[in-house]
Amino acid sequence: MFRLIGFTLCGFFSLAASAPARSPAPATAAKVANGLVRIQETSQAPNYRVPWSPGEVSGGVGAGFMIGENRIMTNAHVVSNARFLAVSKEGDPKPYPARVLFVAHDCDLALLTVDDPKFFQDAASLQFGGVPAIESTVSVYGYPIGGDRLSVTRGVVSRIDFQPYSHSGVDSHLTIQIDAAINPGNSGGPVLQDGLVVGVAFQGYSGNVAQNVGYMIPTPVVNRFLKDVEDGRYDKYVDLTLSYHPLHNPGMRRALKLPDGDSGVLVGDVYSGGVSEGLLKTGDVLLSIDGLPIASDGTIKMAEGTVEMAEVVERKFLGDSVDLEILRDGEPLKVKVDLSHSWPFTLQANAYDETPRYVVFGGLVFQPVDANFIREHRPNDLRLRYAFDQFISQGIYRDRSEIVTLSSVLADPVNAYAAPFTYQIVDTINGGKISRIDDVAAAFAKPSDYYVIQMLGLGRPIVLEREAVEAARDRIRQRYRLASEENLKK
Amino acid sequence: MKSILAILILSAAPVLAGATLSPRNSSPGDIGSESLVRVYATSQAFDFFRPWAKKPSVMHRGLGPVVENGQVLVTAELVANHTYVELEKSGTAEKTPATVVAVDYDSNLALLQPTDPEFLSSVPALRLDSGARVGDQAMILQLESNGRIAETLATISTITITRYPLDHLGLLTYRLSTPLENRDGSFTMPAVRKGRLLGLLMRYDTRTQTANLIPAPVIQHFLEDAKGKSDPGFPRAGVAFSPTRDPQFRRYIKLKKDGGVYVTHVSPGAAADRAGLRKGDIILALNDQPIDQDGNFEDPEFGKISFSHLISTRSHLGDTLTFKIQRDGIEKSLPVTLDADASPASVSASHIFDTQPRYFILGGLVFQELSRPYLQEWGARWKEEAPQRLVYLDAYQEELPPDTGKVVFLSQVLPSPDTLGFGNVSPGVVKSVNGVTIKSLDDIARAVATPVDGFHKITFEEDPGFIMLDAAAAESGRDRLMQEYGIPAAENLKSP
Repeated sequence: MFRLIGFTLCGFFSLAASAPARSPAPATAAKVANGLVRIQETSQAPNYRVPWSPGEVSGGVGAGFMIGENRIMTNAHVVSNARFLAVSKEGDPKPYPARVLFVAHDCDLALLTVDDPKFFQDAASLQFGGVPAIESTVSVYGYPIGGDRLSVTRGVVSRIDFQPYSHSGVDSHLTIQIDAAINPGNSGGPVLQDGLVVGVAFQGYSGNVAQNVGYMIPTPVVNRFLKDVEDGRYDKYVDLTLSYHPLHNPGMRRALKLPDGDSGVLVGDVYSGGVSEGLLKTGDVLLSIDGLPIASDGTIKMAEGTVEMAEVVERKFLGDSVDLEILRDGEPLKVKVDLSHSWPFTLQANAYDETPRYVVFGGLVFQPVDANFIREHRPNDLRLRYAFDQFISQGIYRDRSEIVTLSSVLADPVNAYAAPFTYQIVDTINGGKISRIDDVAAAFAKPSDYYVIQMLGLGRPIVLEREAVEAARDRIRQRYRLASEENLKK
Repeated sequence: MKSILAILILSAAPVLAGATLSPRNSSPGDIGSESLVRVYATSQAFDFFRPWAKKPSVMHRGLGPVVENGQVLVTAELVANHTYVELEKSGTAEKTPATVVAVDYDSNLALLQPTDPEFLSSVPALRLDSGARVGDQAMILQLESNGRIAETLATISTITITRYPLDHLGLLTYRLSTPLENRDGSFTMPAVRKGRLLGLLMRYDTRTQTANLIPAPVIQHFLEDAKGKSDPGFPRAGVAFSPTRDPQFRRYIKLKKDGGVYVTHVSPGAAADRAGLRKGDIILALNDQPIDQDGNFEDPEFGKISFSHLISTRSHLGDTLTFKIQRDGIEKSLPVTLDADASPASVSASHIFDTQPRYFILGGLVFQELSRPYLQEWGARWKEEAPQRLVYLDAYQEELPPDTGKVVFLSQVLPSPDTLGFGNVSPGVVKSVNGVTIKSLDDIARAVATPVDGFHKITFEEDPGFIMLDAAAAESGRDRLMQEYGIPAAENLKSP
């Protein structure tokens, strides 16, 4: 599986839309242009190698569109880590400051608004349509690389399927693949059919992996996002937090006392801390979800056609419930799973709008390991990579809710022998188990003559003497321009 | 103790001999080329992805010195997985088949004997040159394609302990700097000095132009073992240690003396464990030789060198060494006997040569035991490409509980009617079969004799948790499966 490359924001602004030669209806194109917004983002992403530094400032351009009630829809990745957002309407050179109302990193969508009411005067908002049919034609609007003006490309709907969303890196939702050219700068732009928005352009492959493959977020995902924020808060997706497997093997079907036919999937792992814990277990067979029979490959039939059974849960919200019919030890059973909370162990997801957490003690920098950390540090340590990659699949999260590592050593006489411990995982400090970065801060806050830091594995502990640490404190702060010795808030 | 004395006497001798020899020009005669024999070794390795099959055969050539009793010394790598070995006398085209009479993969050495006992009777043995110093020069000998012997001058730049390529054991190594050219794929290359054998080359790095040599003291140990002076093998104490240079750490462990190393791990069941050495002990001296903060002692020949040299090369299996340790502030002496069974069976074997890998096939499910050669079958980037759980278990096997046994995993699924739908089951570590905990392939073989309600239930450490197989169908379909995939036997449970 190739990694999806999310768009970088480097589109170009265009003053007016050149009417596409074969647009479905010229009047529609003009109206679409009226609802289009160019978004200029100034962002500041933190530096996980220097976690106390505010990070580098960079800029980018993306697209968005007005959906009524003074709201602009775009991709989450267009406004992530934003320090300042300026939007301008198609055909109006004046940029207006904008602010984020809601951002959903798990489905790469965001809503913006502009406080100046003049911005929305005589602006046309676009209306949403349904899921377009396979092989039907759609038009993509945006400001992609390759020119200065509004760009419209056309293509056909190639595939409707579950796909990973590269913005978070861990979420998969319904996605529509189209063969229209989608390039950096298209992000957040509307995809239209018969004058209605049928998707939001958001990701593609880099040119050396695949051509003419672009992806848009379809309206079921968009509508879910809009409904979720109706109460003034985005609650994220809720998930059954279990793995399930196809049941094609005839012997295994007999062993599980399944009736003849082609239904049912096997429950593999039921994750601790998830909503299904205690309700379902390994070896259960899921037969139906909300009354829809589950085929042996895990699909169900919905109005849109054959989709993954997860689609039922995808459309639900925090506080809803799911009705399952299962077979346990050959006996049929009804189970109601309350979607009471979202999955808490998300360190494998790319995080945005967060400040890095760290603790510095005696020049030793401790950080929790998450996707942002891994991306910037690129540690080679086998144990650390394993703990991160297999955090869920090997159940490491059951033992500790975070992986804390010695990420770097601010060289000083007090830590002259600590460098070889870099990227090892902290197991205990003064005998107390380290399950999260807060435990590190708490352990160092307790007075002690020696601080004994034991890493996972068979090595010796790092030992720091309190007096030596205190004597080095101001020296290290000044020399390395440490603004603060710790940050425990995301 | 007897054999240690023997080494010390021997190692003193060449220094004298070297001093009395008059300097000579390095012509082939002077470098002892009349004692060199060409070795042709044909090998065929097993395929760890298809453990019932062998890979294509390859032929390697080497240049082996005749050492004693008309036997030829080569690297173990040259004859690993050999199917046929042939010797050719230098200067003539006379050939004879040979057998491997001794092989040790720790030290990467093997001894060959011609089947014709007269074949090498007129060839003088090349004696060992044990008295090397940093800065000494030697000649590395290679075979040209025309059969001539090519010499390259080399200088000893470092004498240290390194991990040998075929095993995890660290042994004495001479590092030589030399502009060696690649000639005709020679696998074993001797290095000679003043008509004596300094060592055998095992690795050459073209970028840094450095060669790693198996030195005479290691060869000496191997040859003594081969003569039956002791159980063959290079002893391990089973101790991992950390230096104590850090003054804060020294104060914390209340180490007042200058030297000493901190024991971080003692392998369960190993020699040190049985002698009572524990994690947290500080090793101060070994056989009255003080150990410094880095774990070095003052070797009479080589100067400061890791104390593992005293254990692995200077001692033989069965010897007893005295560890002087500090525990809870009190000094004490612990005698550690390096018994033949000093190293308990490893969870994941570091090498498997000359024997077929073990496997067990059940209705198209292929089970194997984790080993380093299996992981290496994934290619040069095996650490990234191989299943990560297996890489992890191999890398950190010392941390597993002592009763772990072998790691048995589902290595592949041969598609068949019985395994329909199991094609995407990932390589998983087997926990139990039919309720029996699995710690070796033999456990699986026993467990499948008693299916539960007509099904084999195989549980895994990870997702999907378990699979079930129709026992009768697996039995009745076995012959057809073996036939279709050309697999000669459904299992190999022979121990190496």
